[in-house]
Amino acid sequence: MKDRQRIFALARRVFNGRFRSTRMYIMLPILILFIPGMAWGFSDPDIILPGGHQPDSPMEVLFYASLGVVFGATMCAVLLAFDGVSKDRASGVFELRLAQPMPRHHQALALLFGTWQAIFVPVAVLIGLSVVLIRYRLGEWAAFGDVMVHLGATALILYWYVVFTLLASSRTKDQGTAIAFGIGMWFLFTFLWALVTTMVAYASGVAIGEQNDAQWVALEGAFDLLSPNGVYHHLLETRLVEIDRGISDWQSWSMAMVWTVLPTWWFIRRMDELQP
Amino acid sequence: MEEGFLQLKGVTFRHKVSSPEPFRPWKKRLGPGVFEVSLSLHKGEILGLVGPNGAGKTTLLRTISGILPIQSGQFLQGDVEQSQPLAATDLRSLVGHMPEQVRWQGQQTVHDALMELAEMRGATEKRVNNLLKLVGLSERHDTSLSGLSQGMRQRLTLAASLLGSPKYLMLDEPLNGLDPVAATAFVNLLHQLKEKGVSIVISSHQVEGLQAITDRIALMHRGQMLACGTIESIAKSLDLQTKINVSGEGPAPDLSWCEAIDSKVEVDASTWSVQLLDDGTTTMEMFLEKGIGIKAWTPQHPGIVEMLCAATGMNIEEVGLDIASPSLLPHRRVGGEEE
Repeated sequence: MKDRQRIFALARRVFNGRFRSTRMYIMLPILILFIPGMAWGFSDPDIILPGGHQPDSPMEVLFYASLGVVFGATMCAVLLAFDGVSKDRASGVFELRLAQPMPRHHQALALLFGTWQAIFVPVAVLIGLSVVLIRYRLGEWAAFGDVMVHLGATALILYWYVVFTLLASSRTKDQGTAIAFGIGMWFLFTFLWALVTTMVAYASGVAIGEQNDAQWVALEGAFDLLSPNGVYHHLLETRLVEIDRGISDWQSWSMAMVWTVLPTWWFIRRMDELQP
Repeated sequence: MEEGFLQLKGVTFRHKVSSPEPFRPWKKRLGPGVFEVSLSLHKGEILGLVGPNGAGKTTLLRTISGILPIQSGQFLQGDVEQSQPLAATDLRSLVGHMPEQVRWQGQQTVHDALMELAEMRGATEKRVNNLLKLVGLSERHDTSLSGLSQGMRQRLTLAASLLGSPKYLMLDEPLNGLDPVAATAFVNLLHQLKEKGVSIVISSHQVEGLQAITDRIALMHRGQMLACGTIESIAKSLDLQTKINVSGEGPAPDLSWCEAIDSKVEVDASTWSVQLLDDGTTTMEMFLEKGIGIKAWTPQHPGIVEMLCAATGMNIEEVGLDIASPSLLPHRRVGGEEE
């Protein structure tokens, strides 16, 4: 069996194990509520958002519905991956894995892809359902390119959360610390990042929260590149011409590359050095 | 027996332990582990690894299995003249490793758990099914891991270590949790594997059982190998003699001459016994000469615990539950040379 085939075969087993796990059955209603639920809500023709804004295109609805991915799917990614390494390490199964001739970086890639697939597959299906719901409510299909960018960006943000969580999981043997790492990181990027941005803005003398202030918009845009959630929204904004936060498309995609490659490299390196 | 089937030459692995300093809280230093271990594993033999807790037995097994990267030394495969250095990946494909205790858990079935490891080793589903049959788990093929007893988990771990038909098998406390029947079957299986040419290394605290199944033993203490060889050769190098227990019934005869040759005499109302410290030849003649009738004449070979105590300098009557110091220096080298 070739290396690549072996990686995919192992990833498939990891996927099956996680996809059919009890926690996935618990998380599925949350995902349904957050992703198609939000798409249904934001595609209401009578909806008026704070500030009097009314989403009028399928991509705009998908953009607002992406909050479901940020709040729900990323949390599920953390809950699915937090014990990816720590549980097997604590139980001794990890020692058996390390004793196998399959190179450790191949094992790391299989674990990453398998866990990522387990969260991305249901989310992708639910995004597909959201597109259908938007068509039903607005009478207009989302453009193919918009859907692809939305799916691609969602795949990336879920991957980032999976790789961070697995990295945290590889640092600890007990489940409590592993989940605390994962949830802490999710909390930082989902809720506390705004606070970090605000503090920097305050320290730099920029008016905080003024959406018409170019300085604030630029600072927030730049700071968002340092957070996976921010990069996710930048990627989605590449399809919304009316939004301009001073970040060009190439910058958003380059940062997405950095967020993908660096943690992956770090995780592979960590797995290469890991001891039972 | 093929000479030097797998050789370890000066293999060293020391764990990194935290050693924080005020301005460098992350600082680590080299701590306990195994230090300059040299050993040859021969084809079709069982080697017992013996040592007190913290001696480095598990670390050594993990090192041989390619799980822990060695810091110095090398692994060579082949005979003394033609040996090839082995990388960690080569080692992992040649060695089957059975960790001390694997707490298999979760909803995954026995078959799927083994298939996952088989995938990593390139073993087929047929091999997995055969192994499940071999370890007596074929009836539990679809049982979830959480539903396994300790003994069944141990069997599953054994099956996992046999994936890929390894040439060397590292077993860390393999008899833990096995019932007496399963333990006997396990020992029989080890003999079958030995017949097939598999070289087996067993670390176990059940020293009496170990003595019966091993061809050689290796004594470890504080990360170092103190002695390796057959029980007889180690006993000889440690200057441990075979004792002979002589006993008889009825009123005790005059045994004062036995006490004079440093023998231990015990007498009660209806029996008597003497523990002779020499090889017994001269004493036997004395018993015959004096016309003393004996009931039993039993040679008592030095046990592994006795050897361990002799090699490490521990006193067999004062051995406590204290874990050995993590220092890598042994108390005493075989032969009595003080360090």
